[in-house]
Amino acid sequence: MAETIVKIRDLTKIYAQGEIQVTALDHITLDIAAGEFLALMGPSGSGKSTLLHIIAGVDRPTSGECLVQGVDVTKLNESQLADWRNQNVGFIFQTFNLIPVLTAAENVELPLLLTQLDRRQRRKQVETALEVVGLGDRAKHLPRQLSGGQEQRVAIARALVTDPKLIVADEPTGNLDSHSAQEVLTALQSLRRDAGKTIIMVTHDPKAAAFGTRQIHLEKGELSA
Amino acid sequence: MTLSTFILKNAFRNKRRALLSVSSVAVSLFLLVTLQVALRELTLPVESPGAELRVCARNKVSLTNPLPARQRPIIEKIPGVEGVTPFTWFGGQYQNEGAMTFAQFAMDPKETRTVFTDFKLTDAELARFQSEKTAAIIGKISADKYHFKVGDHITLNSTVYPGALEFTIAGIFSGTADDRMMLFHQDYLDDSIGTPGLVGMWWLKVKTAEDMPRVITAINQAFANTAAEVRAESERAFQLGFISMLGNIKTLIASISTVVVFTLVLVTASTMSMAVRERFRELAILKALGFRRRELFVFILAESFGLAVAGAGLGIGAAYCAYTFGNINKMTHGIFVSFEVTPRIMGLAALVAVALGILSALAPALAVARMSVVNGLKTLD
Repeated sequence: MAETIVKIRDLTKIYAQGEIQVTALDHITLDIAAGEFLALMGPSGSGKSTLLHIIAGVDRPTSGECLVQGVDVTKLNESQLADWRNQNVGFIFQTFNLIPVLTAAENVELPLLLTQLDRRQRRKQVETALEVVGLGDRAKHLPRQLSGGQEQRVAIARALVTDPKLIVADEPTGNLDSHSAQEVLTALQSLRRDAGKTIIMVTHDPKAAAFGTRQIHLEKGELSA
Repeated sequence: MTLSTFILKNAFRNKRRALLSVSSVAVSLFLLVTLQVALRELTLPVESPGAELRVCARNKVSLTNPLPARQRPIIEKIPGVEGVTPFTWFGGQYQNEGAMTFAQFAMDPKETRTVFTDFKLTDAELARFQSEKTAAIIGKISADKYHFKVGDHITLNSTVYPGALEFTIAGIFSGTADDRMMLFHQDYLDDSIGTPGLVGMWWLKVKTAEDMPRVITAINQAFANTAAEVRAESERAFQLGFISMLGNIKTLIASISTVVVFTLVLVTASTMSMAVRERFRELAILKALGFRRRELFVFILAESFGLAVAGAGLGIGAAYCAYTFGNINKMTHGIFVSFEVTPRIMGLAALVAVALGILSALAPALAVARMSVVNGLKTLD
């Protein structure tokens, strides 16, 4: 049986909006195995992005535990979390979020600037990451010179360039046409299959969710299936 | 790519804004340097060679009150005095000029070399000056400005005495603290106005620096309780007294400088805030990728600092070049003879730029430090 890479216990997140308190996650307990491609589904406001953010260490729960590779990310301070994210998590966002003034290669290189790698080693890893997503020939292109699908594949390359075990993707195909979405999902699928990455993907789209090895649904902050 | 490349690319992502920011800093610091240099030139006592041995004696009541010419032999007899000359303000205007553009003083030509040791004048010119009653010597700056040559006849309309006087240029001097002024015979003035026996003030030369305090005291005591009490002081003290009259100008320039700096801080801080605000989402991404608060602070600070320093380099550099290699006398129509951009003034402007870079980065850096990744990602969604 594969090891558990993410272990969530009794996780609750309550947002205070003025005097109103909104429960985004309500006592969630969940295990995610290494090498899984988990599709987190649910309607808007169901708490799926919040759960993803907590797993990725960019948000904090109100209570509960969230262990990723044995580290309780809820106990780390800001600085430790930043280091942890850099070494352990790859991010893919709906709107690609590439830096417009940097080339594809430079965008992919960004997380490596925080590592001890020298320039030559960084360049090598960037080339590899871009090759993996099939954009080796677009390294010097600026984001505006790429299609939406290509931009998202650059974002995937950026997510995997530090070789993290966990990749989190928040609606990665939300801004793409069906052809580009297919390309991106195939790329994610091959990352799981060929590189053994664990992928957690938030999506509304059942077709996208079908690329996952498991689907879970969130409804009003609770796991429904 | 290195972090510095990344900062540089970010700083110039909006080239027009970066250029305008750098220009605004450059223009403001150019102005600041100009104001500081002007302030220095206005308030710095004239450093004239030989000034340490010169004494100025004026009417104790006011500089505008004349002194009796009969005081001269009494002053000359004071031990330690080497030479004495009257020094009387004429206040002449040249041709149809509405204002007086160079000062003219009546003096005793025989004492030219004794009292004013710094004058560069040929012996022939001095001899002619001393021998002709209507002769005058004029500083090189004024001579160049009006294209005066030795032998020229010029007429000046006095704003102090009735009528006009015609002078013959006997020589053109240089090497003094004010190469604009003109000197002529006190006798000629006395004869022309018909009221001999009064002079504007006395300038005298003492033999040694040790004689200075004793001579000053002796002159003051010599005319104490007379109808024309005298206030004698060193040339430096006299110049400083003159400068103190510019108190309001000093305050005015200091106020304008403060306003310039304050406006500069506001403009640059606003520009930096705008630049950072429109990149909030990107900064949130960087945070998500593992960049810490201090690294993001360094990015913002470096960008702000870079813009301020680039502006400072341009502004201070332009001021230095303009005032060092340009003809300031011509530019200001003789108001300023020199306009020296000193290292202290350049240092002050550079310090303002450094403070500007830091201050304008503070607010956006704090906002970024407080921003959570989740909230940052929501911006501009």
